[in-house]
Amino acid sequence: MLTPTPRVQVPGAVTKGEIFQIKSLITHQMETGLRHDSEDNIIPRKIINKFICRYNDVVVFGVDLHEAVAANPYIEFYLRATESGRLEFIWEEDGGGIYSLAHHLVVS
Amino acid sequence: MEETKAGDLTRRGLLTAAVAGGTGLASTTLILPLSASKSDDAVELIKQLTEKTPTESNRVHLSMPRVFPNGYTVPLTLEIDSPMTEGDHVRKVRVLAPRNPLIEVVTFHFVSQRSEPHVSTRIRLAEPQYVLALAEMNDGALLMAKTWVEVATNGCK
Repeated sequence: MLTPTPRVQVPGAVTKGEIFQIKSLITHQMETGLRHDSEDNIIPRKIINKFICRYNDVVVFGVDLHEAVAANPYIEFYLRATESGRLEFIWEEDGGGIYSLAHHLVVS
Repeated sequence: MEETKAGDLTRRGLLTAAVAGGTGLASTTLILPLSASKSDDAVELIKQLTEKTPTESNRVHLSMPRVFPNGYTVPLTLEIDSPMTEGDHVRKVRVLAPRNPLIEVVTFHFVSQRSEPHVSTRIRLAEPQYVLALAEMNDGALLMAKTWVEVATNGCK
């Protein structure tokens, strides 16, 4: 399996109170656990099961992902700009793998 | 390796529960609530899952293509009309695909005054069906919307 690579697209600067868009994607096959290999063995489930976004250490948005989220899960969402600071994006994988990215947001 | 974790919702599991709880009903009628082909069926399914009665609401906007060629990556956009204040906000939204082998698709959690109940993602669908969105408000009310999506290929194989 390829190493999952997370990506986010966040505006560089926003004004206080503004609602801004975030686009996130992680390359991941999202193996559902429902498929069989050529010898009829079940291919074990391995999915990204959770995504959260922290804004200056406060969780402001979260997602529980199940098997029916498409491969390379894409999540687009909207936050309200409160103050400048750190946005942190965390993806959790079955088996405990964690992938994360951080971004500094400037609020004027 | 078990193929599903404990607590996953499967059609079979729900049917078994329905059989256990629904004494005196013919087996054919037990299948009907899971088909969600009619509005009442969707309500029945949600009652089974949440033990609460949802209300169909035009505050919940679930946008998906009516026809989509492949079931592997069907776009979905959700928006709920809400001021997102402390006293009136959306806590979470669950997306369900009653005709998928596993009914639960995705759940979004929102925070009042911090995030907006507006999201987009891409999901898998096994067959043509009504996709349901179930918004839980801060007062515990369940608001529901559904949309018919026709897929040509099974995205769950």
